Amino acid sequence: MTRKRQLRFTVIRSLVAILIALLVATVLIFISAEGKTFMDKLQATGEALKQLLLGPIFRFSKNAGLSFEAKRLLDIFAAMIPIIFTGLSVCVMFSANQFNLGAEGGIMLGAFVAAMVAIYLPLPAGIHPLVAVLLCGTAVSVVMLIPALLKAKLNVSEMVCSLMLNYIIMYVIKFLMNSFLADKSKGQIQSHRFLESANIPAMVNDPLFIGAKLTWGFPLALIAVLLCGLFMYRSRWGYSIRMIGINQEFARYSGMNVGKTIVLSQLIGGFLAGAGGGIEMLGRYETFSWNALPGYGWTGITIAILAGNNPYMVPLAAFFMAYLSKGCDLMATYARVPAQLINIIQGVIFLFFAADRFLSKYRQKLVVKSAEEELARAGALKED
Amino acid sequence: MPDEKKLAAEEYVVRMKKITKVYSNGAAANREVDFDLRKGEIHALMGENGAGKSTLMKMLFGLEQPTSGTIVVNGETLKLTSPSVAIAHGIGMVHQHFMLVPSLSVAENMVLGMVPQKSGMFIDRAKAIELTKEYSERFNLFVEPEAKVMDIPVGMKQKVEILKALVRGAKILIMDEPTAVLTSQETAELFVELKHLKAQGYTIVFISHKLNEIMEITDRLTILRGGRSMGVYNTCDVSKEEISRLMVGRDVVLEVQKGKAVPGRPVLRVRNLEYVNDWNKKMLDKISFDVREGEILGIAGVEGNGQKELIDMLFSFNTPDAGEATVNGVSILGCPQEKIRALGISLVPEDRMLNGIAAGASIEENVISDRASKKKFNRGPLFNMKAIHEEADRLIREYAVLCKSRSQHIGMLSGGNIQKVVVAREFSSSPVLILADQPTRGIDVGATEFIRKKLVELSRSGVAVLLVSADLNEVMELSDSLIVMHGGQIAAYFEDTSDLTDDIMGEYMLGLKQQSAEEIGRVCHD
Repeated sequence: MTRKRQLRFTVIRSLVAILIALLVATVLIFISAEGKTFMDKLQATGEALKQLLLGPIFRFSKNAGLSFEAKRLLDIFAAMIPIIFTGLSVCVMFSANQFNLGAEGGIMLGAFVAAMVAIYLPLPAGIHPLVAVLLCGTAVSVVMLIPALLKAKLNVSEMVCSLMLNYIIMYVIKFLMNSFLADKSKGQIQSHRFLESANIPAMVNDPLFIGAKLTWGFPLALIAVLLCGLFMYRSRWGYSIRMIGINQEFARYSGMNVGKTIVLSQLIGGFLAGAGGGIEMLGRYETFSWNALPGYGWTGITIAILAGNNPYMVPLAAFFMAYLSKGCDLMATYARVPAQLINIIQGVIFLFFAADRFLSKYRQKLVVKSAEEELARAGALKED
Repeated sequence: MPDEKKLAAEEYVVRMKKITKVYSNGAAANREVDFDLRKGEIHALMGENGAGKSTLMKMLFGLEQPTSGTIVVNGETLKLTSPSVAIAHGIGMVHQHFMLVPSLSVAENMVLGMVPQKSGMFIDRAKAIELTKEYSERFNLFVEPEAKVMDIPVGMKQKVEILKALVRGAKILIMDEPTAVLTSQETAELFVELKHLKAQGYTIVFISHKLNEIMEITDRLTILRGGRSMGVYNTCDVSKEEISRLMVGRDVVLEVQKGKAVPGRPVLRVRNLEYVNDWNKKMLDKISFDVREGEILGIAGVEGNGQKELIDMLFSFNTPDAGEATVNGVSILGCPQEKIRALGISLVPEDRMLNGIAAGASIEENVISDRASKKKFNRGPLFNMKAIHEEADRLIREYAVLCKSRSQHIGMLSGGNIQKVVVAREFSSSPVLILADQPTRGIDVGATEFIRKKLVELSRSGVAVLLVSADLNEVMELSDSLIVMHGGQIAAYFEDTSDLTDDIMGEYMLGLKQQSAEEIGRVCHD
């Protein structure tokens, strides 16, 4: 099949999957919409869909109609930061065919380590967040050695191992917080305040957009995307990771060190998740108060699948997910539709993206067309 | 000349009309092919590897569906959506790679999926054995009903496959390269059986590209080339030369021109290699031999006699129970592949799709897989893309890989071109020893010739080559000297291959004869 047709197929397939998910969502919104008559319900559904689809970056007012809202766009960018990191983390690990689900625990541990560095390790302003982020990345890498080495040495399923590890991380952090680290003067379980020097400064903090704040974490995330893309497509290690993911037997036969590369992919995945947690914590919070897994790791898995494990596509997928999540929040606020709907929409999209044979008949048609053209061309050449 | 005789429609048991098949990777395997079968004939389907024979027959057996065209069986237009539909219409297939359960007995294999039952829940073994015996006698196909399939010879496995199809009511038998795995004695036996079946009114499709066999046994033949039909002929009306020209479109030079080998010192030394597999079968039994610089040592033998295990040991995919193997004095058993390659050992693997390539990656990514971490292709932490592009383009050019560009997915190429990519990588890494395991299996004549030439070229420049091939012609023609493996042992060693015949080889391959220890010992050049 020609490249153009391949691209067209990918785009159409993605759009159809999203469309089906939205259709399913519409039906569910209609069912849960308030209203006594059919028309009332229909109107409520329309209102909810408007919030879901346009709400994230537009504001509705009675007299001015639709108006672009920069603050909301900035909010979406801010929400993209942690999920870009987890998305990249999952991309790297999935590329090596390592279904490590530890990004979730990784981001929590990263946030926790960053908080500890921010509270207990006084350093000058510029260096403090940098050291914190490097340390939390490294810490999560070290923890990821557990599933990675168990996989490489004993062929233990990294999926089960990392999944369980998430909860171990969460409960250990909760235990440490409850027993030793909580600020006893507060009414809830939270840490002491971070040192001022540890903050990741804001890039945009204009009083014009009240409350809207975008830290330097955002360009950092984009730099991470670039580095990750270079690593995966332009370095020998990324190349080995991808080849192992495509055909491990081939990689072994070619003389690549499969065990080492499997471990490496999970170390890097761990580092990315950890760094993402640190950047999120130091950019948005002043104390550590997470008492459950934040969910960014799970979203990271959806993003990696949407992006087809291609780091360069991660920002796009992250934007989509952040947009959708914001839309669901708005829908819950203004149209009283449960915000959990986002999980269903995610689930449906996920299903169709992961389904190998979805639209395969359409693909076959394109393939046949390409083959026929090529044959015709070959025939014409012969006659010349 | 095409068969002009018009026959009444009812004399045809199968008519396939204007069959076109395009696979999902874009390859057009068949283009408007017409194919028909008369009742009670043996019909040869001929063509080079990749000409579309298997695809056409897979469609007749319901394993694949045609993109367009119609299939008429016994006057009825059918949609053969699965093999069970085909079987219900009396079409049976004997695959090249047997579809049998090795751990079950012959009788149990015979009744798979149609098990006779006792009091509604137990397998009636006695009845299965009885049924097997009955069919075995009726069709003159001797098998041992109670033997386990893994213990019986290849020839008998094939008979089990044929009986399996007959028990299920097949009147039309498709045989996919039935003689590829047989010795010449077993082939002769098979032909007697096929003639017997024909006499009883069965129709047989005989897929092959061995001209002698076609001339001997078939009534008519259809020739495919590049997915198109080149016509239907009465076998008695065409000569071997004509068939060969129709098949490949030119006169094939099947003999490889090679000068006499001037062997140097031994590169690979194997001593007393022993290996017992997971099913407690001794696959390698005190194997010892040397491969010298500048010589091609062939290993002949029926598949499954230890060749695969031997290659696995030499490329460290597995470790033997005892024995040693060295390359230029360095022990290679159990080394990681990285070190194996560093020592200058190359492998053209038996199954290119399994470990020869990464089908989802580009040609370029496949061709550099063994050298990606070399200094030449890296600049600091990143790849030197220019050097990599140059290397890929050079290899594509030198090995005449037919493709759109180096970034095309390798899975989109034909088998022959995929193999050329594998060979390009393995031959271009300046090896001292090449292990070539079935280097031309399942690829077209052009690519076969190319690869054989390159192999001879390399050996004449001083590389040691160990060639394993199930294609008897190939081993006998390419090898300077040759060993025959049977039952995990070396059955014979021939220092000179020029006066060998199929029959002599067959006797050793079947284990009817065995050379003395002194004769075999000459393969160790101490």
